[in-house]
Amino acid sequence: MRSILLLTRAEISRLRRNKRYLLFTVGLPVILYLIVGKQATATVYGVPFAAYYMVAMATFGAFSGALNGNAIRISEERKVGWIRQLRLTPLPANGYVVAKILTSMVTTILSVVIVLLLGRFYGDVRLPLWEWIVIALVVWLGSTIFAALAVAIGYRFPPDQVQPITILVYFVFLALGGVWFPLSGTLQKIGEGTPTYAAIKISTDVIFGKSVPVGLPVALVVWLAIFVGLAILSVRSMAESV
Amino acid sequence: MSHSGTGPVVSFENVSKHYGSLKAVDGLSLDLRAGETVALLGPNGAGKSTSLDMLLALRKPTSGKIRMFGSDPYHAIKSGNVGAMLQSGGLMPEVTVRELVTLVAGLHPRPVPVATTLRRAGIEDVAGQRVDRLSGGQTQRVRFALAIAGESDLIVLDEPTTAMDVETRQRFWAQMKEEVAEGKTLLFATHYLEEADQAADRILVINRGRLLADGTPAEIKSRAGAKQLSFRLQNVHEPFLLSLPGLVSLDVHSDIVHIQSSDSDKTLYAVLDAGYRPTDIEVTGLGLEQAFLAITAEDDREADEQSAAQAPQTTKPTARSAR
Repeated sequence: MRSILLLTRAEISRLRRNKRYLLFTVGLPVILYLIVGKQATATVYGVPFAAYYMVAMATFGAFSGALNGNAIRISEERKVGWIRQLRLTPLPANGYVVAKILTSMVTTILSVVIVLLLGRFYGDVRLPLWEWIVIALVVWLGSTIFAALAVAIGYRFPPDQVQPITILVYFVFLALGGVWFPLSGTLQKIGEGTPTYAAIKISTDVIFGKSVPVGLPVALVVWLAIFVGLAILSVRSMAESV
Repeated sequence: MSHSGTGPVVSFENVSKHYGSLKAVDGLSLDLRAGETVALLGPNGAGKSTSLDMLLALRKPTSGKIRMFGSDPYHAIKSGNVGAMLQSGGLMPEVTVRELVTLVAGLHPRPVPVATTLRRAGIEDVAGQRVDRLSGGQTQRVRFALAIAGESDLIVLDEPTTAMDVETRQRFWAQMKEEVAEGKTLLFATHYLEEADQAADRILVINRGRLLADGTPAEIKSRAGAKQLSFRLQNVHEPFLLSLPGLVSLDVHSDIVHIQSSDSDKTLYAVLDAGYRPTDIEVTGLGLEQAFLAITAEDDREADEQSAAQAPQTTKPTARSAR
């Protein structure tokens, strides 16, 4: 375990230097919130727009932070042989994957906290403390779904294929999940199944003060199970070729 | 978990690795004993890399058993008994050399001080540079540093001096001898035969996934049989030369004849008895390279004879290059 934490620390210090990554996971949600957050006065999913958009941007930062950098990095590190090199060290067998997921959880917590602070002090969203905590946890833990997906994609595909695949996944889940704009009608029917929608809707329901339909947390767990399963399959199938 | 006791450090028991019908490794059995420096020699595709991969728990044997320090390879590696450097092993991008060596030392239960490792690998001058901006030779030395970042009892190196210039290579081996003097076991694959000759006290020659020869460099040279007989002879009659007793291989350039022979005396007498009067006669022992070529060529020939009913059985001069 100590060696996994050591690798995680090294991974985090690498990411800290990566300005492009920070721009996408922290910078973009913050900028979008500053531009759009107070534009509309309408209510979305029963809550003020500023509150909805805060949750949406937190989800945006956390989910893209978990998927974006990681899938391509894992794929590249597999290609250059770094994963292979690590297998020759005393680091436990799945230490690399665990460290990647821990790293993404640390960086996404940063983006979640920053966006929620922005919502409170710029968007003037006022909530009881427990609601802040629930929202932060839902979005943050929800992002592990994409961290697992990143592992599944990064292990399975070479770097030049990872890029288009992640972009596709990214847009489908963000657009259909109601991250960029609230869903209604047919689109909402389709998007309701996505983990991004579930994370946002749980949060807005909590803010609205109505009980959360059990289907939403179940959806998150099911997606997590699917992507963890895919990740395990990817890692196993590549066991002899990394 | 230092290895003590008298058992072998590494043992392969009838190990095979098949990819479909291709037998990359075919019933390999060998033991490495503590403190030995062993060179693994073989042409490309002989099964060197596959053998090392299996030893390092990167691949599973199709059949057979590998033991390291009395346990399976995976557990031996995870307990820090082995330091390894592979051609295919890469470096974590975006970090400095020092950060990377520090990280890998930290993963080890018995880390070597980072400054010591940097000095031993000769990379103190690039310690502050990013690993993805190094030259080929520097990268190779960083890989080596990762293999010695912990106190391991066995060091496994796959073609360690590739991409190094002559001077660096010599420094590398001087350093390596120091490491081994501490009682470590060293296994390295190489295609530089003089390197195996100078650095190893035991050589394993493998070809077609099988162990062909196992001995000291001197033993390998004599095992190839053989001596080289050279002379000048006008109007050479090749079929006659090919029929000479003891002949292993033949090489003719206009009037210059080189014969590898398992019995150079007999070969020479036969030439003289046939009435020829060659000049500039020279008989020399084979170098390791020629011995290696002779051993693998003989093996290839046997394999060809077994498999090919179509090929005519001429012992053509062998002009293969070792890599």
